[in-house]
Parts: sequence; structure tokens; C-alpha cells
Amino acid sequence: MLAEAREVCPTTTLRLSREGALLVDVRERDEIDRLAFDVPDVVVVPMSEFEQRCGELPRDRDLVMVCQVGERSLKATYYLMYRGHTRVANMEGGIAKWARKGFPVKGDVSAAMASRETGCCGGAAPITAADRPSAQAPGKGCCAPQSKPAGACC
Amino acid sequence: MDIKVLGTGCANCRTTIAMIEQVAQAKGVAVNLEKVEELRAIMSYGVMSTPGVVIDGKVVHAGGVPGRDKIEQWLAVKHA
Repeated sequence: MLAEAREVCPTTTLRLSREGALLVDVRERDEIDRLAFDVPDVVVVPMSEFEQRCGELPRDRDLVMVCQVGERSLKATYYLMYRGHTRVANMEGGIAKWARKGFPVKGDVSAAMASRETGCCGGAAPITAADRPSAQAPGKGCCAPQSKPAGACC
Repeated sequence: MDIKVLGTGCANCRTTIAMIEQVAQAKGVAVNLEKVEELRAIMSYGVMSTPGVVIDGKVVHAGGVPGRDKIEQWLAVKHA
């Protein structure tokens, strides 16, 4: 069984990016055309191409996997771990949370809220109450003062 | 025969399980069928496209519902 994936919040991701980490955006190109991360070091490897292209990703550099809300990127994180990568983490919350925090993006910010992660077999996932930011329990967010660092964020 | 169906829960995964059960029953093959729904456990098999099917620890299928003939082949090989 794989170890638990390391997860980092957007705040930590921004810091890691400035320290040399590579963001790996696994969204499809039409999503990225609408809204993209505006950081110097980001590479696009869509989920539809990930198995074929993951070999392009460096093993000797910190990678932070990103997507719309952090689900596809978590899957990609685990896949890289399966392939032996050790310097990889998932950014929880995706570009949706990144944009809500006012971190650098280019494009239509409303697109951060519009699109949905896909479900198990590629179909659209139903939107549930848990998907809405207001449904997040107080103190449970990554950078909430009450949350434990757990070695991952804040 | 241990068969695991990997998938976080959707119509294709349920269909795959149902089909394996049907074929196993029709062929009189005893199977231990298990659903693996947790992402970390699924990815431990390196399966990016679900449903995935693992038989006795080996990934035999990934992506989409397997055809009935394919399932029959899996069960025939092991039953022989």
C-alpha cells in the first residue's frame, strides 16, 4: 500500500514555488485556457496524457500537483508515488482555493468556480454541499489557526 | 480466486462487479469479489483508469467496463 500523499495548501505551494518547486497542472487544456496559474515554473500535463507523459517530470525537484479542486491532482500524486517519485505533494483545494486566496492567476477567475472535477469513471461528479466553501467546517481548513501543522502546511 | 474491482464508486464500477458475479455464477466458478474504493488503495496498483480489475494480485484490466468475453476468459484460465 502506498503511503499517504503529502498535501500542501495554496499558501505553502506559493512559497514552495518561489523556492524552486515545479507546479504540475493536470487540468485539460481548455480549462487552462480559461484560467491558469500565474507562476514562473508551471508545466501542463493533462490527466488524459498523464500516464504517457509522466516520465517527463523530474525526480530531483519538488513537484506540487495542482488541478481544479485538488482531486485529480491527488490521483496524479499517488500515481507518481507509485512510479517511485518521492518529492511530490498535492495542493489541496486546487486553483479554486488558490484564486479565492487572491494568489496569482491569469484568465477568468469566475472559471475557478464554474468547472467540476470528474467522477470515478470520467463522468461529471455531482455537486454536493461539501463542495461549497461555506460547508467547510470552521478550524478545519489548511491554514486555520486551530489546525495542526501535521508537517504539511502552516 | 480473489478478484478486486477498483473504482471510487460509479455506474461502470457497479456494472463491472455485477457482470463478474453473473459470469462466475453462470460458469460455476468460486470467486472472492471485493470492491476497492479508497483512492490510495486503488493507486497502489498503479491504475489510473477505473474500473480496474485485479485477479490474484495482478492487474488484468483498467478503464471502462470489461466485455463479457474477457471476463469469461479470466475465469476460464483460472478454473482450468
